[in-house]
Amino acid sequence: MQGDADGVSLHHVSKTYGLATVLQVEDLVFPFGKVVGLVGENGAGKSTLLGILAGTVAPNPGGVVSISGEQLATGSPIASQAAGVAMVSQEFPLVGQLSVTENLTLGNRPKDARRLFYDKKATTAAARRMIAAVGLDVDPRTPVSSLSIPTRQMLEVAKALGRDPRLLILDEPTSALGPTEAGAVIRIAREHAARGGAVIFVGHRLEEVREAADQVVVLRNGRLVAEMDVAEATDERLIREMVGVEHLASVTADRTGPVRPVPVFTATGLSAPGLGPISLSVNQGEVLGVAGLMGAGRSRLLHTIFGAIARTDGEMTLAGRPYAPRSPGAAVAAGVALVPEDRKQQSIIATAPVRWNVTLATLRGLTRRGFFTPRAEKARAAEFVKVTGARMASIEQPIGSLSGGNQQRVIFGKWFAAAPKLLLLDEPTRGVDVGAKAEIYELIDQARARGMAVIVASSELEELFHLSDQIVVLRTGRIGRVLARDEFSKERVLLTAAGVKESP
Amino acid sequence: MKTEQAETSSNEGNEAAAGLGVGGGGAVSWARKITDIPEFGVVAACVLVFIVVTLVHHDFADIANLQVIGLDLADYGILAVGVSMVIMTSGIDLSPGSMVAFCSMCSAYVNVNWHWPVLFSILASLGIGIVVGFLHGWFITRLDVPPFAITLVTLTAAAGGALALTQGQPISGVSTFYDKLTLYDAFQVPIPVVIFVVVAFLAWVLMERTYIGRQIYAVGGNREAARLAGIPINRRLMLTYIVSGACAGLVGVLVIGRIGVGDPSVGSGWELDAIAASVIGGVSLYGGEGRIVGAAAGALLLMLINNALIVLNVSPFYQQVALGLVLGIAIVADRVRARSRGRARRGLPVFGAQGVPLAAASGASAEVGGQTPPE
Repeated sequence: MQGDADGVSLHHVSKTYGLATVLQVEDLVFPFGKVVGLVGENGAGKSTLLGILAGTVAPNPGGVVSISGEQLATGSPIASQAAGVAMVSQEFPLVGQLSVTENLTLGNRPKDARRLFYDKKATTAAARRMIAAVGLDVDPRTPVSSLSIPTRQMLEVAKALGRDPRLLILDEPTSALGPTEAGAVIRIAREHAARGGAVIFVGHRLEEVREAADQVVVLRNGRLVAEMDVAEATDERLIREMVGVEHLASVTADRTGPVRPVPVFTATGLSAPGLGPISLSVNQGEVLGVAGLMGAGRSRLLHTIFGAIARTDGEMTLAGRPYAPRSPGAAVAAGVALVPEDRKQQSIIATAPVRWNVTLATLRGLTRRGFFTPRAEKARAAEFVKVTGARMASIEQPIGSLSGGNQQRVIFGKWFAAAPKLLLLDEPTRGVDVGAKAEIYELIDQARARGMAVIVASSELEELFHLSDQIVVLRTGRIGRVLARDEFSKERVLLTAAGVKESP
Repeated sequence: MKTEQAETSSNEGNEAAAGLGVGGGGAVSWARKITDIPEFGVVAACVLVFIVVTLVHHDFADIANLQVIGLDLADYGILAVGVSMVIMTSGIDLSPGSMVAFCSMCSAYVNVNWHWPVLFSILASLGIGIVVGFLHGWFITRLDVPPFAITLVTLTAAAGGALALTQGQPISGVSTFYDKLTLYDAFQVPIPVVIFVVVAFLAWVLMERTYIGRQIYAVGGNREAARLAGIPINRRLMLTYIVSGACAGLVGVLVIGRIGVGDPSVGSGWELDAIAASVIGGVSLYGGEGRIVGAAAGALLLMLINNALIVLNVSPFYQQVALGLVLGIAIVADRVRARSRGRARRGLPVFGAQGVPLAAASGASAEVGGQTPPE
């Protein structure tokens, strides 16, 4: 069974993690000379598909990926690169201290360079060519760490293009870019296809995908649900294909709101770099969802409310009093808590016992003149571990040895112990399994029941629909739309997030 | 009332959980508990070295020799306590050795040349240590200078400063109070040893019994998590460098008494012994782990071995080699222990998977413990 000679083809390619099949593609071809737009919701399987092509994800045995008829040895980034696949990812794997030249030629020595020693002249010339090819204007001697994010993104493109790939993968290349650079990337994609390469363009902004692509492929729940010519790909159609049939039952599930709405937190004209002005308010016992694409400012909003990012303008109130935290410490003291997105980096102290992690934010309250007794600390820790139902052999166990779901519960316990007025949750169920997810939702319900106001930011719309009384949709740092519970629909959220005006 | 209730129920939970975790009981688990104490290895090594060397060479256990060990221990041990607190924040302080020289020279200088009363000249030594420690903290927290770099600056500059003060000449004629501080003893325990014990105890209380100490550990364990838990990380970092500087100032006072003069060349290389003592005592260079008890025991072990090598007439060249080996063994042993514990840890979630939340365990500890199905 040979693949299509005129492109990159996938046949019967699938990927399973545990019991979950995240990708199942029967036949898919990315033809040479064409730009194919790839769209789908979060978790639709886009990253997995791209990972398989780039060699960073090993597919289930049995599938065939071939490039111009030659079968690709899957699961090896080196084999993929040798076969002519180059990917521009959303992260920037650039070495900050090295110069633009060094980064561009790292692991990709120009052919005319001398063999043994570093050939500065040849590498610089090669780097200049690569920079010019993407229309950048930077000195190749500049260290990458001093460049702006958009410039680094463009360098990534230059680096990939410099390999003269047969398949160029652009994974949300424009999410960090302004309109001019985005236009340049689209032009680069088109030119590369015109030169006979295959290009995959992944994007959340549908109008960009349409502009860049010749045809569009839609993934949903790991399956290929639609392939169409770009002329047929209207926003409405794409979003309908991405969303599928809405599970209306779960969305409209009844929710008994608070009898008398008591506003706990309000923000007026809140601004920070890349954010705002934003005005919103949350009532006691209420959950406000925050939706938006990557880079739309979800985390930024939460961190600004928490005082972890300096506010540049605007006013906030907490429980009717002015609230202007200058540090997370001030926010915690005022009664605000944050469960950050990256558990390992931002919330747990992995080697420390569960006990320490639970009492981290509230130990001071247990002290008399600064001293605490181990007995009181153990009691406090055990109490709040119990409240959250986290499972473990002992509270003396290092938190790092627990499962993701249990770690997250301990973190909830930490903040329940502080009894905050406002609880900020950033992707509260990232990296936990399905069962633990439901239990974390219960914890959020418990937080409501304890009278906290909750703000949840999430990239999973089902999650927001399930949890929220109201959803604000962010787009480029601002509120694009506010949805009440009876207005929740994926279509509305995605259209707003992508910046499309809804047709009546 | 409410807390009491929480305490009792949590204790049940702990007991049930502990029963599950260890499984058996009796002598085996008791031995396990002892060997699970991170400082067990160092303390055992101290005892072992002491017994073996005493058997070989009876003079080792002489009260006079033990007092010498004690005086050495006081110097290095106090530095180790300060440095270990810095290391717990995943920082490093390279300055203590030079600072001992600089502080002691300044103290002797103001005492002799400016005729400051001895109390003030002692305070001068401590004060300089504190100020320099504060500056370290300031550069590290405000300007984001790596701890290694800024304390290396002091390592170099303070050593030079100590020499420059008198063009390298020692300062004699210091107050006799300095001598008394080291010559007197309480029940044959030299005063510096008492001071070391007090310093170590205070540091232990700070780290183990105050919220500030816990926050210092948190800053070392995961700085971003500490920040997002509302901990003022800069103040905590600052504090550890100030403590380390104060410890160097204190040792600066003690060394004047031992030598009888202000000696500008004293203390050279001591920072490395202090760091070695911390590491031998189980203080992780990655931060967030280790205890004051370990650092103190590490200093004791180093001093015992050091003295044993002298008593046993080992050539000074091999003394260095031997100390290096001890450090190597301590580091390897720590990694081996961490890995074997890691394996044990990986086994633990199995208990979790069986579905024994603490809540259930405390309510139904009998059933869970006995493993008997209800029917």
